[in-house]
Amino acid sequence: ALPLLNSPSVEGDAIKVYVRVRPPSEGTALTDGDQGLCLSVLSSNTIRLHSKPEPKIFTFDYVANMETTQESVFSSVAKNIVESCMNGYNGTIFAYGQTGSGKTFTMMGPSDSDNFTHSLRGVIPRSFEYLFFLIEREKEKAGSGKSFLCKCSFIEIYNEQIFDLLDSASAGLFLREHIKKGVFVDGAVEQVLSSAAEAYQVLTMGWRNRRVASTSMNRESSRSHAVFTITVESMEKNNEIVNIRSSLLNLVDLAGSERQKDTHTEGLRLKEAGNINRSLSCLGQVITALVDVGNGKQRHICYRDSKLTFLLRDSLGGNAKTCIIANVHPGSRCFGETLSTLNFAQRAKLIKNKAVVNEDTQGNVS
Amino acid sequence: MAAAGGGWAAVCEKFRTARTLSTVESRKDPETEPYRSKYSARALLQEVKQLLSAAEEGGEARLLAVRRAVLEYELGVNHTDTEELSAGEEHLQRCTQLLEPHRLSPDCVSLYIQAQNNLGILWSLRDEIKTAQTYLESAEALYNQYMKEDGNPPLDPSEHFMAEEEKITDQERSKRFEKAYTHTLYYLAQVYQHLEMIEKAAQYCHTTLKRQLEYCGYNPVEWALNAATLSQYYLSKQCFMEARHCLAAASVIFSQAGQVPSAEDNETEQDQQDLRQRKAEIARCWIKYCLNLLQSARKLLEDNIGELDPDRQLELKAQRKKEEDEKEKGRKKAVLFGTSDICDSVLAIEEKVSSVYPLDFQEAREIFLVGQNYVLEAKEFFQVDGYVTDHIEIVQDHSALFKVLAFFEEDYERRCKMHKRRLDMLESIYVDLNPQYYLLISRQLQFELADTYYEMMDLKIAIGNRLEELDSHTIKKINSLAQLAIKYYELFLDSLRNPDRVFPEQLEEDVLRPAMVAKFHIARLYGKLITSDSKKQLENMQTSLEYYMFLVDYCEKYPGAVRAVETELELSKEMVGLLPTRMERLRAKLCPFI
Repeated sequence: ALPLLNSPSVEGDAIKVYVRVRPPSEGTALTDGDQGLCLSVLSSNTIRLHSKPEPKIFTFDYVANMETTQESVFSSVAKNIVESCMNGYNGTIFAYGQTGSGKTFTMMGPSDSDNFTHSLRGVIPRSFEYLFFLIEREKEKAGSGKSFLCKCSFIEIYNEQIFDLLDSASAGLFLREHIKKGVFVDGAVEQVLSSAAEAYQVLTMGWRNRRVASTSMNRESSRSHAVFTITVESMEKNNEIVNIRSSLLNLVDLAGSERQKDTHTEGLRLKEAGNINRSLSCLGQVITALVDVGNGKQRHICYRDSKLTFLLRDSLGGNAKTCIIANVHPGSRCFGETLSTLNFAQRAKLIKNKAVVNEDTQGNVS
Repeated sequence: MAAAGGGWAAVCEKFRTARTLSTVESRKDPETEPYRSKYSARALLQEVKQLLSAAEEGGEARLLAVRRAVLEYELGVNHTDTEELSAGEEHLQRCTQLLEPHRLSPDCVSLYIQAQNNLGILWSLRDEIKTAQTYLESAEALYNQYMKEDGNPPLDPSEHFMAEEEKITDQERSKRFEKAYTHTLYYLAQVYQHLEMIEKAAQYCHTTLKRQLEYCGYNPVEWALNAATLSQYYLSKQCFMEARHCLAAASVIFSQAGQVPSAEDNETEQDQQDLRQRKAEIARCWIKYCLNLLQSARKLLEDNIGELDPDRQLELKAQRKKEEDEKEKGRKKAVLFGTSDICDSVLAIEEKVSSVYPLDFQEAREIFLVGQNYVLEAKEFFQVDGYVTDHIEIVQDHSALFKVLAFFEEDYERRCKMHKRRLDMLESIYVDLNPQYYLLISRQLQFELADTYYEMMDLKIAIGNRLEELDSHTIKKINSLAQLAIKYYELFLDSLRNPDRVFPEQLEEDVLRPAMVAKFHIARLYGKLITSDSKKQLENMQTSLEYYMFLVDYCEKYPGAVRAVETELELSKEMVGLLPTRMERLRAKLCPFI
């Protein structure tokens, strides 16, 4: 029997993980020889990777095959999160995968179209529509008693530096924390939104400012993480009592996973050595990893947080609804990257914030 | 023909240009074409290779082979850098094959080691760590063998394409060779970490740091942070002497960073801010050092109810006396950082705080004070406005320092005052904290506050028990402390409820024990509430019983939970057996006629 790599997820705060298989671009499947596919979708939550000698089966919350429509991805992935966002929860949707695995298509839609109403539009525009649809509905239901304020920001994390995509002239920005408002990017432009179309406009404008690079291996690869954040604030007046609720919706397009060799998610690498004069800057990461597996002793680790995990700290365990869409390309040439994407997704299901409640009852049980 | 006269000069020139392109120019490549210079360098190297082949007939075979190996090496690195691993591997393999017969000679050893380093990197990029390990370990062995058998400063690979008069000094050669070897050790540290050979990895990290100080130009801030982080590894292994040494070295090297005026000398506000943050980070490592030392000492000294055991104390003091006498013989030399002048400064810092377990209040207090000073230093940077999480973590450490110091304090009144200090610092932060963003910290604070009130209540009871009779003031105090403890435990338990305010049927692994302990403590607290009103007392007993029942029922339903709360469960079962009888008796007293 084939081993199942994980048990069905327990309902709760665990991160939901969706896998989407894109269709191979025309022509590639033919030239790749024997079918050219390195995986097959077995059911709506299992996928088989044709590894040798034993094939591997992975189970996720949802597996979308090549035929799955944008609408259906949105319904199963994002709808729920947008709804809980209306109920005051923070929500985060990540897209993860190698360059060319369909992240942008999934999140945004066809790259050549600026058209918000395109039938192939992705998760982000659909989330906008749905969010504003829900807001309108709430307003109608509650009458003048309830009002909403939506704001958005759009930032990019590149080389551990933060840039504002809504203000291309801005220099590097910094993350700060507020005791009431949590983590925020200090100085990022916040734009007030009144409709889905407006949100989409802001998004496409910012998207053009992203950093991309091409190499002889990759035609175009995004080298940065982009985080689009919508803050939804609702104010409800009930007689004299004013009830204010606020929540965040983070939509994240991660840099191509093959580019993430420096982050904790991908595990550590020996780091490029080309230039022997370079400082041994990743030694710190190694030491950090050594301390990380320490046995529950009190300790402080000097460089622990990457900017991305710090910004989304709240989304990774704790008080938010989070899902990851792992995009994979089925071509057999992508086997290595696909395997590492699926492994990542598998690990993501186990992500929980490791901080535990300090408690020490020794001596108290008497 | 190419090897002679002007031809050779042109070859060298091409080679030099390729190197410059690869190492210097490539850094300035535009983001849209990150490998532009690398590709140009590659083309030049191919040309050089062609020119060499053309010269083949005439030249000396060995010389030619070595020069070719240099080119293969450069091409290998170039291909690896541009993500073309297979091609890179071929070149590097060819390089090592060409050098194999001469690998121990001074003109080849450095290149051979570097080729092996790069093969190690290449295989690690393919996630084949074991293969990487073999290359790197053989590089390490070769270095050792060479140093044993020859030891003269070997040629730097770049010298094979230099005119005689340009060749570098022995001192520079040695420096570059040692640097290449430092890299071997540094890659091995990573390999061992990947293979989960933690101790070995730590040892290689340590050696890398040590060699950085000795041989390479190092970035003092980075070095200091690495050393401070490494100290945290030693802490987790209870090696306090090593931890202290790393921290002291970190402080010394860091202070150099502050003194050196930066090259551009127009340091931005941001750089200054960065330095301040780093300094605060190192202070935080020191806090953990003090805290761990105190807590470990506490573990050694406490008896089965968590109080200081005087017999154990005497025993440990005698043992320490004996060890001190023997100590002179062997202080571990291997772990020491730095050359003499750095060493002296490190020693001076080490002297400020002990690295042996404190065994009485006086000794504990000295460590506590050092820790508290670092708390103040760390808080200067990590202010609550902007650094909520870090700030609270520091406050939590401060509270923990007080908690462990209280263990060493014999006077209960003074002990209470220490706990009061903890409450003040924790509560003032807790009130403002938004659990929507800081759920976990908020839970930690709730639990710690509850625990502190609980502990203070126990102390007040102990103080009260020494009196002839509990006075009304003490009773009031005890009751109010108990109520506050209950309040915070309940807040903690409430934080586990789902959006519809329902308590989870089954508790998540990470909150299982704290939740059970909270229930258990609440049960005990209701038992401790003092009242002269029998009806009220009966009510409290009833509530207490319900909380004990929760533990018993839960563990029956989920036997997996038993392991987490063995002692508590045992006591709860006992209470569930006892309480109803007691309540019965009380009820009988209340209504004697029924």
